[in-house]
Amino acid sequence: MNVGDLNRREFGEQLAGDGVALQFGPFNLRLRSDLDSFAAHAHQLYEPYPLPETTAICDFHVQICAPRGLRRWLRRQACFGVDGQFPFAPYTVEHAFPALEWGINWCVATRAHHLLLLHSAAVERNGRAILFPASPGNGKSTLCTALVHSGWRLLSDEFGLVRPEDGLLLPIPRLIPLKNESIDVIRRFRPEAIIGPSFLATRKGTVAHVRPPLDSIRRAQEPARPRWLIFPRWVSGAPLTLEPMSRSQAFLMVATNAFNYDVLDETAFRLVTDMVHACDCYSLVYSDLNEAIPALDELCNSMDR
Amino acid sequence: MILMAAGRGLIWQDWGDVYLVYQPSSAETHVFNETTAQILKCLEHGSLSTATAKERTEAALGVDLGELAADDFAFATMRLEELGLVESADDVSTAQ
Repeated sequence: MNVGDLNRREFGEQLAGDGVALQFGPFNLRLRSDLDSFAAHAHQLYEPYPLPETTAICDFHVQICAPRGLRRWLRRQACFGVDGQFPFAPYTVEHAFPALEWGINWCVATRAHHLLLLHSAAVERNGRAILFPASPGNGKSTLCTALVHSGWRLLSDEFGLVRPEDGLLLPIPRLIPLKNESIDVIRRFRPEAIIGPSFLATRKGTVAHVRPPLDSIRRAQEPARPRWLIFPRWVSGAPLTLEPMSRSQAFLMVATNAFNYDVLDETAFRLVTDMVHACDCYSLVYSDLNEAIPALDELCNSMDR
Repeated sequence: MILMAAGRGLIWQDWGDVYLVYQPSSAETHVFNETTAQILKCLEHGSLSTATAKERTEAALGVDLGELAADDFAFATMRLEELGLVESADDVSTAQ
């Protein structure tokens, strides 16, 4: 059963009541909200996402709700909560949806320490995955969005979830938040992409969420083996370069981009060293998706020849 | 002056151009060049005087005795001390 099997009214009632359990890759979360505008956005954008079995245990219990007490009547705000705690300052109610999405990221990054959490986008094709470790602002979400609308499968635009038992990447194909100019870049690059409403003047500028292709959502329980580590950097007007990078430099960049490298200690060291050994490492500078995507396709195709 | 290894149970990865060393006692990962790694490796078998450690490092690096600049050796040793991987102490036998 998917979110879309509930109509808008049923979905809203469940959100406002006991909450709706949602499955995002390896995580189940129970979501509650008493905000009508949020429910409308969530119903639209989460439509193809699966609902877990009713007996499934939820990893996170999150809510995006109006504040309690007098503040509820003074300003229309939305508070993100997890397990009854409210770790962030309230958001304006118009930004409830991106606030919830950021909050879920925060839950994963701060709590899912049974996995190594790389700060990285990840896509897969023909059983081989590319990881794009990068800091915000380097164009990894834009690149990732373009790739998953060009025949690649989305694993995640934010997390490289590495399973310690075998080093495989677990998919968490959530919505992809595009920021500012990236929104129009993707609208032009793939007009068929399903992009939600633009939320203006959020804490990260204008944000709009791309819904991943259905294939990525349906294959959310299918892990992938990392094959390439590519460190992207978007530079306005720059010619495309895809150059090999030393493994030692790649190791440092992956380890320093991990959310919980320090938490996992020796396990993280072994996972990252094994991964870097198993991958070809490149730095990618791009300004034009029409150049970058074929270059990455060619990299993948060269493995099959 | 004698040098002794302070880190225990280090996990090594030789990546050709660099060595990656995981230090369980601090949960830190270090990236060392060949010279620094060889200093640390020669101390894993026991304490050595500074002069002997330098000689063994030179041997491990495959360079002639005295070819490793004293300043470079001292800098690398100081970094290892700062990281808690090496300790130094006065050489009692020399003092006597």
